[in-house]
Amino acid sequence: MLIYRIELTDFRVYKHAVIEIEPGVTAVVGRNAQGKTSLAEAMSYLATLESFRGVPNDALVRLGADTAYVRANIRHDDGREVLVEAEINRSGRNRVQVNKQRLARIRDLLGVVRTTVFAPSDLQLVYEGPTQRRQLLDDALVALSTNNDALRLEVDRIVRQRNVLLKQSAGRMNAEISNTLDVWDEKFVEVGTRLGEARARLVAQVTPYVCEAYEVLAGEPTRVDLIYEPEWRTVGLGAALVAARNDDIRRGITTVGPHRDDLVLGINGMPARSHASQGECRTLTLAIRLGIHRLITHHVGAAPLLVLDDVLSELDPSRSTALLRHLPAGQVIITTASALPEAAHPDAMITIEDGEVVASVKIAK
Amino acid sequence: MASPYTPPIQALIDEFGKLPGIGPRSAQRIAMHIVKMPREDINRLAHALTDAKDRVRYCDMCFNLSESEKCSICSDDRRDSSILCAVEDSRDVVAIERTGEFRGRYHVLQGVLDPLQGIGPEQLKIKEMFRRLAPEGITEVIVCTNPNTEGEVTALYIARLLEPLGVKATRIASGLPVGGDLEYADEITLGRALGNRRTIEI
Ligand SMILES: [Zn+2]
Repeated sequence: MLIYRIELTDFRVYKHAVIEIEPGVTAVVGRNAQGKTSLAEAMSYLATLESFRGVPNDALVRLGADTAYVRANIRHDDGREVLVEAEINRSGRNRVQVNKQRLARIRDLLGVVRTTVFAPSDLQLVYEGPTQRRQLLDDALVALSTNNDALRLEVDRIVRQRNVLLKQSAGRMNAEISNTLDVWDEKFVEVGTRLGEARARLVAQVTPYVCEAYEVLAGEPTRVDLIYEPEWRTVGLGAALVAARNDDIRRGITTVGPHRDDLVLGINGMPARSHASQGECRTLTLAIRLGIHRLITHHVGAAPLLVLDDVLSELDPSRSTALLRHLPAGQVIITTASALPEAAHPDAMITIEDGEVVASVKIAK
Repeated sequence: MASPYTPPIQALIDEFGKLPGIGPRSAQRIAMHIVKMPREDINRLAHALTDAKDRVRYCDMCFNLSESEKCSICSDDRRDSSILCAVEDSRDVVAIERTGEFRGRYHVLQGVLDPLQGIGPEQLKIKEMFRRLAPEGITEVIVCTNPNTEGEVTALYIARLLEPLGVKATRIASGLPVGGDLEYADEITLGRALGNRRTIEI
């Protein structure tokens, strides 16, 4: 998959810009707040329909405009040409067209474009709560198979429905509410179990790739663990829900299930969060992104676009060199505010200033 | 901000905008069209609106839209009274009737279980359906709710209540896209789905 042209209109800092992107490695340079991250964000939006920084839609629209447009020309490995046009509205629904055909649901875009984004904020994967780690797993599942998107949305929906029922039932549990809760539980068991299985399978498949990536970056063999072992999976979701029901009713929320899962990250047999240095944690998050990237490449048969947003300055020189020497095949975009390290041999260089492309050069090798 | 339209037109746009499936732009188009229509067409439209409201009610038995206490399907003796098709709303009756595959009777639940919308079993016509079972000699209920989360959960709820009564609960299955709407399924797909219905596992 190759995104060879992207056109941004009223997208974050861009009033209007057309950016042609080469296959291989493209360096995007510019001072901070000039539009490097906006470019990365536009690309990840096409893949996930949300900002990788987790900001709401209206933050993607340029100040003073109502609608942002992202147009991307994509060429698949089999030669198929796809034009994706996304319209992001400050208020109201967003719209997406693929080859000028409007999609009935914008989520139908998932799977058309795949991206892997690594950004400094990824350090939160280690230090923050489990939400981001669950999202990491689920985003990877969606990239592997778009069916997983419906699965994850259905789990969310059932939990919300069930929580409303639990709140209603507080203090006035009767046979009817109990019967209603039973059927929601049955559906939750069916769908939640499938999501748990999918996550467990993903973790098992991706772990070797993550270990390999970590070793390459760190330059020495290191034990890396990704542990996904929610308690409900050992007894089964049905039994876990029965055991938790009184507690759930008392608290008015669903206390067990895949929506509460965590992925524990370990280095050298110890939890990374409490025992690893910041440098190790950064290497770990990068290794996880690269591991998922390789798994998806292997599984889907095409490499997603890899975006390294402003991360070289965060890595120590030896790791940054190791990363640049072992970049996966496929299209890579590296954004940086500082000079490119020696080890970077980009195929093209784009300079961005104040939301405009001021220079774009191909580099002969 | 003041409306750029004169008040009567703005009122019309506001009213159309409240209708399902009509966005602000369509509401404007329809309103502008209406003021250009000949007086007699307007009268006919106005009459059709009030006439529908005056004359249409719910059938006492199946809660489908009807002109009388008992709708034309419930009063048709040639229909198979042993088999009942439970649907979310009247549009689904129309969709299934178009297939010509179903010769039983209907029961319109008037919605599905949806706690987020404040809809529980009491808000639906479920009790009314159970009251029909013995008198009409119903032996099978096909739960034709939409194949989405709420539709599936409602089907399961009904199946669980039917089980101790010895009434078979079935669900249409193949061919319908998950998350799709019955109303939008084409006749052949829906007809085939009815033919291939399966017992609900509870
Ligand atoms: Zn009737």
